[in-house]
Amino acid sequence: MSDKFKYLLVCAVAFFFASQAWGQDAKLVEAAKKEGGKAVVYGSLESDTVGAIIKAFQKKTGLQVDYWRASATKVMDRAMSEYRAGKPLFDVMLTNAAPMHVMLNEGIFAKYNSPSAADFPKDAIDPNLGPRYRNVIAGIVYNKSIIKPADAPKSLEDLVNPKYKGKLVMPDPTQHTTTTQWVASLDKIMGKEKADKFVRDLAATKPILVESLLPAAERVTTGETPIAITYVKYVFIFGKKGAPMDYVRLGKMLGDGHYVALNNKAPHSSGGKAFIDYFIDDESMKIMAEMGEFVNRKGIYPPLPDAEKIQFVQMVNFDKKGFAAKKKEYSKLFLK
Amino acid sequence: MNHRTIAIGRLPAVWSLDRAAAFLSQPVNWVFMGVGGIIAFLSLYPSFFLLYGSFTDAPLGVPGHFTLNNYIQAYSDPEAYRLILTSFIFGIGASGLSVILALTLAWITIRTNAPFRKLFELTAIVPNIMPPILISISWVLLLNPNNGLINAILMQWFGLESGLFNIYSIPGLIFVEGLILTPLSFLIIAAAMKSMDPALEESAKTLGSGEFGVATRITFPLMRPAILAAGTLNFVRAVESFDTPAIIALPARIEVFTTKIWREALGSFPTNHNLAATYGVGILVIALVFVYLYRRFTSQVESFSTVTGKGFRPHQIDLGGWRILASAVAFILLALMVILPFMVLLLMSVLPYYHVPTWETWKNLTLDNFRYIADNDRVYRAFGNSLFLAVVGASLCMLLASLTSYITVRTKIAARGLLEGLVFIPWAFPGTALALGLLWAYVDFPIPVYATIWIIMIAYVTRFLPYGLRAVSSTIIQIHRELEEASIVCGAGFLATFRRILIPMMRPGVVAGWIILATIFMREFSASLFLYSPGSEPLGPLLYFLYLDGMRGRVAAIGLVISLISIILIAIAQRLSRWETK
Repeated sequence: MSDKFKYLLVCAVAFFFASQAWGQDAKLVEAAKKEGGKAVVYGSLESDTVGAIIKAFQKKTGLQVDYWRASATKVMDRAMSEYRAGKPLFDVMLTNAAPMHVMLNEGIFAKYNSPSAADFPKDAIDPNLGPRYRNVIAGIVYNKSIIKPADAPKSLEDLVNPKYKGKLVMPDPTQHTTTTQWVASLDKIMGKEKADKFVRDLAATKPILVESLLPAAERVTTGETPIAITYVKYVFIFGKKGAPMDYVRLGKMLGDGHYVALNNKAPHSSGGKAFIDYFIDDESMKIMAEMGEFVNRKGIYPPLPDAEKIQFVQMVNFDKKGFAAKKKEYSKLFLK
Repeated sequence: MNHRTIAIGRLPAVWSLDRAAAFLSQPVNWVFMGVGGIIAFLSLYPSFFLLYGSFTDAPLGVPGHFTLNNYIQAYSDPEAYRLILTSFIFGIGASGLSVILALTLAWITIRTNAPFRKLFELTAIVPNIMPPILISISWVLLLNPNNGLINAILMQWFGLESGLFNIYSIPGLIFVEGLILTPLSFLIIAAAMKSMDPALEESAKTLGSGEFGVATRITFPLMRPAILAAGTLNFVRAVESFDTPAIIALPARIEVFTTKIWREALGSFPTNHNLAATYGVGILVIALVFVYLYRRFTSQVESFSTVTGKGFRPHQIDLGGWRILASAVAFILLALMVILPFMVLLLMSVLPYYHVPTWETWKNLTLDNFRYIADNDRVYRAFGNSLFLAVVGASLCMLLASLTSYITVRTKIAARGLLEGLVFIPWAFPGTALALGLLWAYVDFPIPVYATIWIIMIAYVTRFLPYGLRAVSSTIIQIHRELEEASIVCGAGFLATFRRILIPMMRPGVVAGWIILATIFMREFSASLFLYSPGSEPLGPLLYFLYLDGMRGRVAAIGLVISLISIILIAIAQRLSRWETK
């Protein structure tokens, strides 16, 4: 077979698959236009990130997207209340694993196998929720104009060194659910014995407690408290604005996975499907990564130094009783 | 005249056909039934879902089993009572501070001839416009012990090793919450002060009292209804506030009742709204006790009647050489309430990210956050929606509040106390829990209000009516019956008397209430967040999302623009109502 022929064959195959995919998109978009030409999305992903994706999606399809953004628990509360009352206004849901599983168990979601899901690694696909499109990773972040990189902690255990006493801020693990999960999952990266000792020692240093991960990062940017346990992505997000922030390269880091799903009573189901197809497609994943997110696509990383070296470890999830028990346990340690 | 007073608004003890006809023949009774019906519906319909939720084991909207477990969980823990005590100290401290500051400011700006008093009066309201969380954050940036701006400056000037002030303490918490609550107290107290008759003060003077003696022995005691109104509202507001404790108490490891509610109910996963509603019932009991105490302390209505047919407006006290000192005091108070936090917000709005300013900072100043406002359709839409909600919502709320206030203060209708209690029911529930109650109440309502701007309007009127009611009630108490009676004797009916005598006399209270409500509606978020749909997004949720995304600069920039618009609104309202002494 001549090279020219091989080339033509590859082109023909590529054209065939591309036209198949486009054919499905075009049909969906057409159907979506008949439904009103829009999709309503509820989620906890940052508005600017979704805004950039919506802009590209609208340009490509001509479909309008309305996005309602709130914290994960508020998103879940509103969606479930509307659903139970028989009037769900949303088509698509974007949020993290724990509330997604609660809503899945409530029977809110439709099973939708998006063609774009095929490009995700197998271990990033949940049998019920589909691809885990991004990982939100928590680690140690510090203000490098106050703590020189050479003096920064090198590991989690370093945080309990007396020289960092009074310099560490973290969300209150007895109040902030993601932090409860983070503390409870430390054994996955440290081993049980070390993790238990570390949690006890960490609590004994009396870190400054705040209500969630963002205020912790903000205290690092303002310099009020130079070290924080918070999302690593804030190093890029605040760094872009000039904040002197860096993170400790821990290798393995704990985080939470985020998923996207279709409402099974979606008022605009075709619009919702078209949005999901685009949302987890390469183009959208690249936009998301450029905004500082860790997406689950090989070779696509946020513009953060050494981002590709971070090994994501999924935090454990608890049910209602599990969370309550952990919060009680941490109350005795962190609030005594 | 006596038979007439009895006929108006006294519910017949035994309902015979004749008595019922007599009852219905009075327009005021029709007004009572209309207003009572509206308030009962607004209050009880969404609250029913919450009260029901507090007695079931299933989430709101899901059939469950009757249980007392929520109450056992909420109130069997001895820790809860310790935290209630801390909250009580916090509430008394913050509301007390707000009343003291408001009284001082109101006296200087309304009763004296201190220079710039009108400017002080206008700016005193400004903090009510800003989301409380931003004011708390501003004070953390000013007074945190590590690098708070004021502490940093004092450390540099006096060579101190550590910051002089520590915001992370009970006094810090009370100080910040007190400043946040002061505008509300100021509006209520200032309105009442404007409605005062000088006769008693002049008598005291004639009998030899000095200006200070008149103020402490005559003026302030006469202000009791307004002081109690402001104190009551602010006490409950402080006890149920979460923003300031979250920002200041948490890092200080001070626990208050709301941090417990947050941990166990609103911040738990999944959110336990049943438990949140149960805690709300506790706050409701506290609120109702305060309503009862308020009514008891102001039951001798006549003793507070300072607006009679004989005199109209209070005289101005000539402070002579003390004028400048009075202005200086007002300026210091306003510096704490307005200037310092707003300077931080201004700084936040022009910095790419907030940090303690250095010489390098000035090179990086940016107007990007203001450009975001100018270029963004979503922001314009939100401003439009919030302006509509503020103007129309506050007007509707004040109409309802004025009628309710008339019924509860002026008539002898047997159920009038109940009406006042009803108003306070939705107010006592945490904002997010009430929002869910409202969502459940109206999602399937025969009139399709869900997913429109009208459900937000209903939510605002339902939740914030007590503010309007308190503002107008403390003024109506001061109006002597003789004016109304004169009108009736001259042949005017209830509606004519209400429109021509009471409304103009109540004007300071009505305008004060309108301003309180309009400024709250411009930035409210906890109820609107759950109820708005794309297209009807007001400013509150927009600010919340930006805050959630770490866009403090944009939040501060929008906050400053909201403040500017609200000041214009307030100035227009004052001009239209001819609030100032003519």
